[in-house]
Amino acid sequence: MNALLTSAVAGLTAGGTYALLGVCAVFTYRLVAVVNFTGAAIGTAGTFVLIALYEAGFPIWPSVLAGIAVGTVVGVAIGYIMTRWFGEASASTKAAVTVALLVGIIAIGLRLTGGQHPHNMPELFPGSAFRMAGVEVTIASVLTIGLAALFTVLADLFLNNTKVGLNLRALADRPMAAELLGIRVQLLSLLVWGMTGAFTTFALMIIAPQRSPNFMTLSLLVVPALAAALVGLFRSFWRTLAGGIGLGLVEGMASSVDSISQYRSAIPFLVVLAVLLWSQREARWDEAR
Amino acid sequence: MQWKSSLLAAAFAGIGLAATAGTASAAGPTCKDGTIKVGAVSTITGPADFSEVPKATQAAFDAVNAAGGINGCKIDYTIADDKADPAVAAQAARDLIDNKEAVALVGSGSLLDCAVNSATYSRKKILSVQGLGVDAACFSSPNVAPVNVGPYTLSTAMAWYATNQLKSEKLCAFFIIIGGTQEAYKKAIENWEKISGKKIHLIDLTLPFQGDLTPYVIKARDAGCDAVLTNQVEPQVVQLIKTVDAQKISGINWLFLAPGYTEQVASALADTKQPIYVGTEWEPFTEKSSAANAQWVADMQKAGRPLTAFSQGGYLAAQLFVKVVASIDGEVTRESVSKALHEMQPITNPLAGSPYVFGTAKMHSPMQSTKVMKLEKGAWTVETPDWVVLPQAK
Repeated sequence: MNALLTSAVAGLTAGGTYALLGVCAVFTYRLVAVVNFTGAAIGTAGTFVLIALYEAGFPIWPSVLAGIAVGTVVGVAIGYIMTRWFGEASASTKAAVTVALLVGIIAIGLRLTGGQHPHNMPELFPGSAFRMAGVEVTIASVLTIGLAALFTVLADLFLNNTKVGLNLRALADRPMAAELLGIRVQLLSLLVWGMTGAFTTFALMIIAPQRSPNFMTLSLLVVPALAAALVGLFRSFWRTLAGGIGLGLVEGMASSVDSISQYRSAIPFLVVLAVLLWSQREARWDEAR
Repeated sequence: MQWKSSLLAAAFAGIGLAATAGTASAAGPTCKDGTIKVGAVSTITGPADFSEVPKATQAAFDAVNAAGGINGCKIDYTIADDKADPAVAAQAARDLIDNKEAVALVGSGSLLDCAVNSATYSRKKILSVQGLGVDAACFSSPNVAPVNVGPYTLSTAMAWYATNQLKSEKLCAFFIIIGGTQEAYKKAIENWEKISGKKIHLIDLTLPFQGDLTPYVIKARDAGCDAVLTNQVEPQVVQLIKTVDAQKISGINWLFLAPGYTEQVASALADTKQPIYVGTEWEPFTEKSSAANAQWVADMQKAGRPLTAFSQGGYLAAQLFVKVVASIDGEVTRESVSKALHEMQPITNPLAGSPYVFGTAKMHSPMQSTKVMKLEKGAWTVETPDWVVLPQAK
């Protein structure tokens, strides 16, 4: 039992990461109606600018700002592609386009950053916050969970209580109607893309030192993040937050059980399957009523 | 006129005889068209880049050609890119064997060449002096004999080093299993158990290729491991040690295989105080001034190639191949090269700790030694100036 608790706590680090990126994915989906597979890759691009500057001897915090700026620009660039050429496309087409973009970004990123060679990733928030069940819970993982929670609260407030939030929701649901109402669709969309780009970049900068420091691994963090978003059915920020952290905990616990741990990477898939079945069941009930 | 033509005939006969005698006395390899065709199937583009291996082979052959070739025969070397794609790899091998008429494969370094092509090599009766054997089939095929130690033998050797020299009592092993490598890693640990007479304290074959490693380092700590051996590759080595540091774990020796032995890993882990050891496949490449590396360094610098461990493998394969071909008496063909490799005496080279021999065994793993490097303040230092040679299993 104790070993299970220990490994669950050990999974917190991953859980915070999934939750944070998952909440960002839900944010993008609710505001611009795109299931965005490039989320983590955008953040990774910005993070590698930080790494490059840091390795070239620049001081940390200005490099962080430069990295976030680049992450924002990459986010806006992808947003531009999505709104300019695929604004009217169906949700599944948009998702497929972002998958293609993800593959492209990874290929270019791997070339530019020296493939699988590891990089010297500066730790923005080093050290341990506290010790629980024999596991050091790092400041970085507390921060990711905290940021995910903060983002959840802010996003909820922003979408439900502000005019811009309302406009953005209109934009996601009925872009054409929103445009006719005089909402500046393109500008607002790009703003959302830029904002999530900046935010995921900062998130990735916190996360990167605890992960394998190469472009592909960081970009592929989007998979468990989307699984977490699916737990929230791409609507609820709170359920996404819980889903992300839960996914991390389950993964952690799975690694302590030998017979399960070799299938550990299939866990996001199982979670997705379970959620889909659950949501279908509700649909069935609705129809039956 | 009769006597004149008789005399002429006699004279011609004499010249002919002399010519035959001449060839007989200058024993050595001969070749049609003045070239010996050799090829390599390597992963150059794709998820991994092993191009350093055949490019170093090329540089070594260029040096031989510039010095007049092997008994006047120039080596015509073709590098084929398999793009880490099985279909492309199979095609590349066929092209080299059937169209280019290669006499042997030398200096290949690939993710899947052996797994995909070893059956073809057996069928076509061509041998491969692999510059860098990566997949398990490179060490279990009759037609492939790599010049590197390889991850499995190296796992045994590092485990042996941990118990023999670091005096580890509770050795744990964590392996990433990709493709069909599970049996080979299990066998590597079994071999160590036979050699050392000890039992592995914990073996975990579920290490993820990507994902958080915190649960695993906690597992190692809670199991009381005093040394942990893993086959993590470059970026994961950095991730593992950073996770260990974040968990404030101490008192465990961390042992890695050759992929961890790079300058990037050293600089990314410059701040850690964890005891980190890696096993090398050849004479440590970071020891640029060592006598064993002198010729390799000189030839690589002349060719303008970087000094990496991979390039040692390609270079060594070329050196060994040239020696074997030079021993051939007669025409250099696929048959004569295969015969020479099968019947060769072991050849020593300062770059490797074991003598290389191809031989006629069903599987080949001639290299059985490593040098152990320790990471200290961002630089690799030689921990074992003498080769750690794996004893035969009892």
